[in-house]
Amino acid sequence: MALKQISSNKCFEGFQKVYEHDSVELKCKMKFGIYLPPKAETGKCPVLYWLSGLTCTEQNFITKAGYHQAAAEHGLIVVAPDTSPRGCNIKGEDDSWDFGTGAGFYVNATEEPWKTNYRMYSYITDELPKLINANFPADPEKISIFGHSMGGHGALICTLKNPGKYKSVSAFSPICNPILCPWGKKAFSGYLGSDKSKWEAYDATHLVKSYPDSKLDILIDQGKDDQFLKDGQLLPDNFIAACAERKIPVVFRLQEGYDHNYYFIATFVNDHIRHHAKYLNA
Amino acid sequence: MEERTGRAPAYTRDSATSPTADQSFNFYHMDLYDSEDRLKIFPEEKIQMRGEVLKEPKRGERTPELSMAAHDQKEVEELASYYGVEDDKELEGEIEVGSVLRSGGSDYQSATSSLRPHIVPKRREPGREEKDWQYLGEAEDEEDDGFPTWGSRGHYQELREAYRYTRGRSSEEYECYVIPEEEDEEEAPDVFCVTCKIPIRAFDNLFGEHKDHEVTQLNTAAENAREEIHKNMFKLEEQIIQMENFASHLEEVFITVEENFGRQEQNFELHYNEILEILAQKYEEKMQALGEKKREKIEALYEQLVNCGENLDTCKELMETIEEICHEEKLEFIKDAVTMADRLGEFLKTKTDVELSAHPDFEDQTIDFSDIEQLMDSINAIPAPCAPVINTQTPNSATGTSVKVCWSLFSDDTVESYQLSYKPVSDGAPSEEQKAFSVNVKESHYSVTDLVPNTQYEFWVTASNSTGISPPSERAVYVTAPSPPIIKSKEILSCEHAALVRWESGNMNPVDSYTIELSKVDNEEPGNVVTESIVGIPTCESLIQLQPGESYLVYVRAINVGGPSERSEPATIHTTGTYFYLNKDTNHPLLSISEDGFTIVRSKGKNSASEPCDSDTRFTRCVAVMGSLIPIKGRHYWEVEVDEQMDYKVGVAFEDINRRGDLGADSSSWCMSHTYISSRHKYEFLHNGVTPEIQITVPPKKIGILLDYDSSRLSFFNVDIAQHLYTFGYPLQHFVQPCFSLEKPGLLKVCNGISMPKFVTLF
Repeated sequence: MALKQISSNKCFEGFQKVYEHDSVELKCKMKFGIYLPPKAETGKCPVLYWLSGLTCTEQNFITKAGYHQAAAEHGLIVVAPDTSPRGCNIKGEDDSWDFGTGAGFYVNATEEPWKTNYRMYSYITDELPKLINANFPADPEKISIFGHSMGGHGALICTLKNPGKYKSVSAFSPICNPILCPWGKKAFSGYLGSDKSKWEAYDATHLVKSYPDSKLDILIDQGKDDQFLKDGQLLPDNFIAACAERKIPVVFRLQEGYDHNYYFIATFVNDHIRHHAKYLNA
Repeated sequence: MEERTGRAPAYTRDSATSPTADQSFNFYHMDLYDSEDRLKIFPEEKIQMRGEVLKEPKRGERTPELSMAAHDQKEVEELASYYGVEDDKELEGEIEVGSVLRSGGSDYQSATSSLRPHIVPKRREPGREEKDWQYLGEAEDEEDDGFPTWGSRGHYQELREAYRYTRGRSSEEYECYVIPEEEDEEEAPDVFCVTCKIPIRAFDNLFGEHKDHEVTQLNTAAENAREEIHKNMFKLEEQIIQMENFASHLEEVFITVEENFGRQEQNFELHYNEILEILAQKYEEKMQALGEKKREKIEALYEQLVNCGENLDTCKELMETIEEICHEEKLEFIKDAVTMADRLGEFLKTKTDVELSAHPDFEDQTIDFSDIEQLMDSINAIPAPCAPVINTQTPNSATGTSVKVCWSLFSDDTVESYQLSYKPVSDGAPSEEQKAFSVNVKESHYSVTDLVPNTQYEFWVTASNSTGISPPSERAVYVTAPSPPIIKSKEILSCEHAALVRWESGNMNPVDSYTIELSKVDNEEPGNVVTESIVGIPTCESLIQLQPGESYLVYVRAINVGGPSERSEPATIHTTGTYFYLNKDTNHPLLSISEDGFTIVRSKGKNSASEPCDSDTRFTRCVAVMGSLIPIKGRHYWEVEVDEQMDYKVGVAFEDINRRGDLGADSSSWCMSHTYISSRHKYEFLHNGVTPEIQITVPPKKIGILLDYDSSRLSFFNVDIAQHLYTFGYPLQHFVQPCFSLEKPGLLKVCNGISMPKFVTLF
């Protein structure tokens, strides 16, 4: 589990770094970005995982979201992994932008040829946290997760599938009900096969219906001018309705005029950092 | 007589213009100096005597007291020669002069020379007074020179100065004595014969008259003598100090006597002149009455005399006529006689008045001297006291129902008792003039009780003794301490660091200031120890700084000149969270606030339209009520319990929010609004009439509101699940107040004074 530092840049008295390592789950080299706040030099810090959306690498968030200042202030380590295995030489992995490379959908694939490498769910929830806890001044008890679009979906399912593991969760324009949207149908049928009952295990809206307790605080921001919202890829209303029914606390903010890109994320990322800090620093 | 009365008050004239001062009223000095004769020749004699004494100072004579019995005459003589005791002799001469001057008798002399305090006895010689009084008639003409007080006072002054002068000189000189070096040019003595106490030559000891005498070395002898002298010197010094002290004491006595007698003189002067005036007045009155009566009587008698004469003339005329008739002829006689008889008969019918119309005898006029007698009596008795001086009020000496009044006398009048009178100071309306109360007091102070708090009372006092009552003193206004204020405990506002305490004065009249006393309630150590007080609060409210998370008992006192009131009833303040109350002047008529002050109820009633209500403070359109938050920046947190299916708005607004507008409709308010339509919850966060689009999956039952001036934010939370709902981020330059509205019937419960939950503090 040797880590190779790719880059290190001082940022708000802390450091934004990129590492590369050999992933056991994904059986390939994986990069991740990590921001170490100034507080990390003297003590253990909570870790906030960021899951990016379709087509993204570890670079998008760390270069575009502008979260560093808030993270530095709240003393949070922010880990931004890549969105899929890369360079696994699977046939068709680079054929489309919404499947294969850059579109791991944070599931453990069960179908050939993906099931060997495309185990992003285990990577995110298991391997990566262990790696981080072992190599950085991270408080293993205090982790939270958030993400954007496909990453928002990932954040939600990771949380909903592991009650209590994450202190808090939030999402920007998440794919809330993938089994009912075109992206989700395509990805899930590819990774999980045609048995739709298996899909439900990675569907936030479905998972919330069986979520055991309501000790969760979900913050969702959604741009109102988001094309994918209009296209029915995100379906937040389904998720909200399910949460309302199950009394799962959600604050869903429909932000007037915003679309799906990182400018939107950058606008509200501080709210999200604060949202997580509230639980992580409690 | 008139002339005399006009001159009666002539004693006020300048006495210096009279050269014959000695001849009248000089009995004033008698009491001081015993002998009338001596006093009369006072100035001449004094000069003579002094001259004599100075010419032949009596060296040898010394009163034993002065020369100190402990030492023999010789020693003193020696000392005297060293010290240059000439001064003492001079002094003695002076004393003798003084004593001779003062009296031929021995009293004063012995007093002076024995250095014992002595006050010249005050002697009254009624006989002489009478004698002098007899002079009054003659003296009247020379009255202007009747009071030689000032002339003789001048003498005393002179005397004292002379005395002081000699004393001063003596005390200066004794310090710089010189031991004279004795020299024997022929044969200097070299040893000292102890037996003969003279220095001798050693040779004499062996062969001369001092043979076999005990001798010491001259130096040793000189040393011994010097020591001895020093010892005596100290004693003398002490003696001198003692004498000086006594002298100053004597001077004091001198002055006191002078003053006392001066006062007595004035007193007599006043009274005798009064009596004279009264006598003169009485005399004039009597004389006038007498003259009048005399005139009256004489006039009456004269008139009667005239009448009498007239009658007599008539009678005579009649007689003559009758006689004439008698000489007439018969016929004529008969005719005339009949007429005459008629006339005579008529005349005789008129009665001749021979009674005296006025009593010539002098009616016995008793002269009433009773008032004069009374006045005379009063002269001999002690004078009635002067008006006492009433003190102004001592600060902090009063209580709510009592004041302590003090007064004093200008002079040492004899006073048997005082009468202290007082009444409340009325505001001018004469109909409300209050009755005055009086108490008799022996001391020169009194605590008047049973008064009304915070009220001004006028006090005045008279002194009285057996002779009479003094005029009243000036009136002094005292004020009772105020009643304790009443803390408006329901209107106390607090937060973690401060509290705003309000109270009612409890007094009709204004008070000077208020004091707050704070005591921290310590559960481990009960007992109300005052830990802090804030003084000089001019108004009926005060913002006080406190420490968070404590409980305090607060008391208020009202202060005026008289002092502080009793403590008010305490109010309890907890500095946990923020505590405000709902302002009942603002609530919409459809809203009612429960007894506890924190439950807002909108009953299913008619619409407000039927109730015309126009008020500047009351919400008339939005069915809302405003809270009253402590005007302290920082962070304030409160919670509102709501019903899931109720339509409500909770938030904050500027104090001057348009009462006819809706909450959140303009820039003066911020609120979270909930509406429940067809089983759907709609949450809005309104400001300026706009809201972000927000969906909340779990309807809050308890909304936490965090007003954070420090970071200019207003945040809403779902308390039960620690969920942040929304935050307004606007700079809040002015203070805002909590606002609550119910758009449909239902109720809201405001939770106050709760500490901020952790999720709020972390947010």
